[in-house]
Amino acid sequence: MSAIKLSRPLGDVDIVLREAIVALTLGTAYIHLTLGGVLFTLNAIGYLVGAVAMVIPLGIAVRYRWLIRIGLAGYAFATIVGWVIDPVFYSTAYLAKGIEVALVTLLVIDFARLDGNPIEVVRREIRSLLVRPQGSASGRA
Amino acid sequence: MKRLLSAALITIAIVIVAACSAGSSSRAAEPSIDPSALSISANNLVFSTDTLSAPADQPFQIAFDNQEGAPHNVAIYRDSSAAEKVFGEDPFSGPAVVVYDVPALAAGAYFFRCDVHPDMSGELAAG
Repeated sequence: MSAIKLSRPLGDVDIVLREAIVALTLGTAYIHLTLGGVLFTLNAIGYLVGAVAMVIPLGIAVRYRWLIRIGLAGYAFATIVGWVIDPVFYSTAYLAKGIEVALVTLLVIDFARLDGNPIEVVRREIRSLLVRPQGSASGRA
Repeated sequence: MKRLLSAALITIAIVIVAACSAGSSSRAAEPSIDPSALSISANNLVFSTDTLSAPADQPFQIAFDNQEGAPHNVAIYRDSSAAEKVFGEDPFSGPAVVVYDVPALAAGAYFFRCDVHPDMSGELAAG
């Protein structure tokens, strides 16, 4: 079994940030769940999966947390774009979009704090795929 | 990591409790419903009817009974492109009844739908 090595332990700010991300993700998931209909329910399930993926201590999730951050941010962004294309103007929609904007912002901050430059991260991952090291996997939480 | 996980679990619990305690209020029926008000309800993401008939050139009421938790409204548009809204209020969660006071519409065919669930739609004939 491969060992997971953290580049640095998570500090209090990192934990608060992660908590906020999970809370916002669950918040928008709940809102979409209450809207009814297949599309909104699938959207809610996607957010629930994202929330779990952000904290689950599985090796592969820890290893690719950077990708989960990008995926969740992209998912929230796509949801916002979907609303912009076909908007419904009322308080719940404003709340959901506010949560999603905050979520994307926090994910970007979390990424910058833990992973750094996204281009560098992608380059590093491609290199590690091309030159696959034997034995251990490394990653940040 | 255990610390993070436990913190996340606490957060999840807080959010779930908050979510379950929110939105339990329901709107009561409006007191003054015109006996000639149009009536329509929503349940299981379907309107009770896909045709409404209203008088032309005079205000009228629509008594909308949302029988489920999902938010719905009855918004009226010039046509099915839904480009020009002629009447619409915010969606609300049920079970609740709301009476809309719709301004006078010129004779003709209009389109109505739920703005949150555009598949829920129908035709309103004024005349």
